[in-house]
Amino acid sequence: MQETAHAATNAVHHAAAAAEHLTEASGHSITHLMMVLIIQLAVIIIAAKVGGFLFQRFLKMPSVLGELASGMLIGPYALGGMFEIPGLGILFAEQMGFAASAELYGIATLASIILLFLAGLETDLAAFLRYSVVGSFVGLGGLLTAFVLGDVCAVFWPGNGIDSFMDPAALFLGVISVATSVGITARILAEKRKMASPEGVTILAGAVFDDVFGIVTLAIVMGLAKVEMGGGQVNWGAIGWIALKAIGFFVVVTALGLIFARKITAAIKQFRSREMMVSTCFGLALLLAGLAEMAGLAMIIGAYIMGLALSRTDLSHEIEHHLEGVYNILVPIFFCVMGMMVDFSAMKPVLIFGSVYSLLAILSKVVGCGIPAYLMKFNMRGSLRIGLGMLPRGEVALIVAGIGLASGIIDQGIFGVAIMMTVITTMLAPPLLVKSFEGGSGLREEMAGTGEDIETIELEFPSPDIAEFLLNRFIKALKQEEFFVHNLHTEQPAYRVLKDDIAFTLIQDVDKVVVNVPHANQHVARMILLEELLSLSDLLESTKQMKGLDKMGTDLMQGMFA
Amino acid sequence: MNLKKVLSPDTVWIDLKADTKQGIIEEMIDRLVAAGKFSNRAVVLEAVMDRESKMSTGMQNGVAIPHGKTDEIKSLVAAVGLNKAGVDFDSMDGEPCTIFIMTLSPVKRTGPHIQFLAEISRLISQASERDKLLACTTHQEIYDLLTGK
Repeated sequence: MQETAHAATNAVHHAAAAAEHLTEASGHSITHLMMVLIIQLAVIIIAAKVGGFLFQRFLKMPSVLGELASGMLIGPYALGGMFEIPGLGILFAEQMGFAASAELYGIATLASIILLFLAGLETDLAAFLRYSVVGSFVGLGGLLTAFVLGDVCAVFWPGNGIDSFMDPAALFLGVISVATSVGITARILAEKRKMASPEGVTILAGAVFDDVFGIVTLAIVMGLAKVEMGGGQVNWGAIGWIALKAIGFFVVVTALGLIFARKITAAIKQFRSREMMVSTCFGLALLLAGLAEMAGLAMIIGAYIMGLALSRTDLSHEIEHHLEGVYNILVPIFFCVMGMMVDFSAMKPVLIFGSVYSLLAILSKVVGCGIPAYLMKFNMRGSLRIGLGMLPRGEVALIVAGIGLASGIIDQGIFGVAIMMTVITTMLAPPLLVKSFEGGSGLREEMAGTGEDIETIELEFPSPDIAEFLLNRFIKALKQEEFFVHNLHTEQPAYRVLKDDIAFTLIQDVDKVVVNVPHANQHVARMILLEELLSLSDLLESTKQMKGLDKMGTDLMQGMFA
Repeated sequence: MNLKKVLSPDTVWIDLKADTKQGIIEEMIDRLVAAGKFSNRAVVLEAVMDRESKMSTGMQNGVAIPHGKTDEIKSLVAAVGLNKAGVDFDSMDGEPCTIFIMTLSPVKRTGPHIQFLAEISRLISQASERDKLLACTTHQEIYDLLTGK
């Protein structure tokens, strides 16, 4: 036993020695490199979080913009490259033309995988299918217009060395302008109580399509770009084959994921520990991310697919909930690192190009999503709202730009252009969207009802305290029935209840408990509520057996003022 | 949910004989004792009657769902019985009950117990489904109908 331990310790020493030896070439030990990394992370996390907070609080802008801005500020092309710290050197030095060290970029990559895994998890496949007609036309319209305009803009702009539609850099500029970041729009829709409006529903459905098709488009472009970067010639036959492979990978892996997700989660549930379940699912997401990269696509595609596959299982909220903390810390690092990569000197020559590209990115969504919306019973006002709602690009555009820069497909200048477009569209969308929602209906004629078969069960109690008490009893009973109950962290206590195909919401509205449940699942909600109501009578009975409250109070205070 | 995991052919009966509420509950419990599901008849009966005393489980359209919680039961026990003549079960609509679904659970239980009741209730919420159930002539037919064979 002792010998084994000794051997193990020896092995560790050998490994460490080898690592020291390996890094001697770069002049520093692993320990030194890690120390630099940790100090860099400390600066990045604090700067990103403070930047995000300031933007959100004082400028009413999404925190992602603040995180980007802090990155630009502390990066090697600004403050980070100016000051030398004693014993450490320049904190953020450019290394081989790249703003982040491999270690730091590794952490940013992990963050991007978490981000896309969660994006996949949050995808509402049911809505995807339910609103498929409207959503697919709006999503597809915006996607095609944005891709073509983004790509063509690069091709026709003189002097950037891009002269073909199939040039990898042109393809990347196309993909970067595709992905809508609906989070910003969703927040505004929620604030303005327009989430359930026909425009709101269409925007959210369109955004789901936009996400899915955007990932497929990225898969195709990555496949093409990798072949071209490797010196291979891409003819139309090859393009067809690569596209087929990319779509095939997406469709087959997603379908397999959806088919086996229940079986996989059932197996994972055997662990009976939530942390184990969540960690295992995250491990699977990392695995699929790696496999996607091996298949010639991008890691984020695999992560997204794993999220999508798990989104239909009852574990999805559990995973989201548990990864929230990791997300809150790691994802700002990613945006901050992306900001650090903006080289201002490289951007000067492309400022006009960037402005035109951004303008086209705006036009492409307003027109590309607006026209299909107009053809589907929306009037000009409604179509404009939908176009503007699809306007903000965000996380995915930044991730794709980062992949392009890291793989050498786009240069610092084009990367800066991508960041510029993301910032402009994200900043413009909120005020424009709010303005557009002034005025009357956005429908040309009343659209047919969406036919949601939801029943509302309302129970009124004598006081909010009793309503809260019963709501908590009800939640406990649901958990005993092995439902997953998730606090939605809204101002009004609201919960989402999930189990297999059953999903409903619980809300406490002052002295009322309101249950919104699909007609098909109302039985279980009603019966559990009834049993909890009846159990109150037991409780009342047992309070009668308590010794007098006066006596208990006296006992508590006895001897305190001796 | 899969009702097969909970129901078994020896806990579905087409021929409940009793003609009172108390009688039906006792008869179902006796048959469950005979099927070897538990032994302490009195404790289980008390648990079910205790629940009935709070509010009758006679629902509407001839369905009753007597149930109870007691630590005499180790894991969910479920039974379905018919009395085609109908029994006064103090139901919500005042109509006699013909379909009886009984569940018994441990006090500190975790698992889909109410959900099981809800699932069967959902299955027979349509009049046509109740008619099909009442048209069954053997225990096996009920079992096959409910478990979707």
